[in-house]
Amino acid sequence: MTLRRLLPPLLALALIAGACAPTTATAISAQGLPRQADGWHGVPLEVERDMPDVTLLDTAGDEVDLREATAGTPTLLFFGYTSCPDICPIHMAVIASAMEQARVSTDTVQVVFVSVDPERDTPERIDEFLAHYNHRFLGLHGDLDVVADALGQLDLPGPVVEGADPRGEGDLIGHPAQVIGFDADGQAQRVWPFGARRSDWVLDLPRIVDEWSAGDAT
Amino acid sequence: MSNVAWWCSSTGQVWTWRYTPFIGVWLVAGGLIGGYVLAHRRAGQPLERRRLRAWCLGVLALFLVSEWPIGQLGAGYLATVGIARYIVYSFVAAPLLLTGVPTWLVDRWLPFGSRRQRVMSTLTRWPNALLVFNAVLFTTHVPGVVDTLKPSQLGSFTIDILHVTAALIWWWPALRREPERNAIQEPVRAFYLFASSVLMFVPAAFLTFNPLPLYGLYELAPPLWLGFNAIQDQQAAGIVMNIVGGFVLWGIIATLFMRWAKEQERSDDLAMRERSRRTLEAMRAAGPPGDDVDPQVGQPTGQ
Repeated sequence: MTLRRLLPPLLALALIAGACAPTTATAISAQGLPRQADGWHGVPLEVERDMPDVTLLDTAGDEVDLREATAGTPTLLFFGYTSCPDICPIHMAVIASAMEQARVSTDTVQVVFVSVDPERDTPERIDEFLAHYNHRFLGLHGDLDVVADALGQLDLPGPVVEGADPRGEGDLIGHPAQVIGFDADGQAQRVWPFGARRSDWVLDLPRIVDEWSAGDAT
Repeated sequence: MSNVAWWCSSTGQVWTWRYTPFIGVWLVAGGLIGGYVLAHRRAGQPLERRRLRAWCLGVLALFLVSEWPIGQLGAGYLATVGIARYIVYSFVAAPLLLTGVPTWLVDRWLPFGSRRQRVMSTLTRWPNALLVFNAVLFTTHVPGVVDTLKPSQLGSFTIDILHVTAALIWWWPALRREPERNAIQEPVRAFYLFASSVLMFVPAAFLTFNPLPLYGLYELAPPLWLGFNAIQDQQAAGIVMNIVGGFVLWGIIATLFMRWAKEQERSDDLAMRERSRRTLEAMRAAGPPGDDVDPQVGQPTGQ
């Protein structure tokens, strides 16, 4: 059979295989977040939620009242774990890089990472994880019921074990994939689901600083 | 095996070192080698060692960058590997494949007067070929196109086929030596190849100097290591396109130019020898040298 005769069935096979290929998470999210009617890329929250009233531990072992520690500064709150293979490192990398690009420091927008995996996420491990992105991001941990309580106050589901990590690094843990933005008064304003890109954050971060800082919070 | 796929694509899955065979890559590679051998056998032509080697190396280059892991890494995880695949498709596999095709096979596949030949003849005229190659280069590196097509196997396959096809069209006038099939000669050939290497700087510059990642699929792909930086990956991709692509291409331009210069030198040498031989013959025919021979031109001055 010549190449000429082989080509049509090969192309047909490719078409069938391609058409049957599942749409992936990347396919949905690769284009970034759609621009909202008000120009933001973060999605506005329709219900009022406050910063969770819980006490956790920082990586030095000191108690941190989440509400007190974040009062007065716009805050991006994320629940994740350091062994996470995709969503957590991507969110952290994207936010850190966008803050650098938009010249927004953690003094003006605080980033808080709360571990949902108290078993594996030792303080050292959280420090090491966050140091890859920005050592000034605040890493917190606590007992699983405290973390679940914090998630519950935001109407978010608690962490669940989802099965073995394909890389052979223990279990995968299911957790909320969005970053929640709070204004300086501790009111949740918007969420950035997985799929938010640097370009989305670069546009939203200056608005967070301008509109959510103390005295400006809407 | 549950992880067999047709072609590499951006899956959004966590990267593991578990082998994923791509059936389409094996089929295409097998089809190319098998088709080549069969075409020779049907025509009753012997396989030329030099051309067979070039063809097989071309297929091997295609295979290596399309199969796991390079195909998968390039399609969905690292922009640098994605660009490296493009360089190999365009500047290694395509010229090797073209070099491997003997003239009689071109005549067989594209007989003069056929519609195929007319289409190919139009496409491979050097200004058109330059246009096609660069149109494909620019279009297939537009972020919207990459982010839309690469997450599906069909889309990723289409992009790869476009790259190879455009490169074959582009190399055609530079590598095929049949004058009736749009072959171009030096110095036009050197200019033609050089022009493309310069045009390649444009997308390469976009990759290198853009402060934000252009492609969402690489930016949001599960990272291969902690602290992976999508911007550095993109900058490296731009450098690969610029420096590696440039070096490969300029290396080929230099080789072709030097080969042409050598051939020129050889043909000049032959022409000079022929002239000397004729002069000598003329002198012999005219008898012993005397005042009637002009020493400047070596021709007898009088009848």
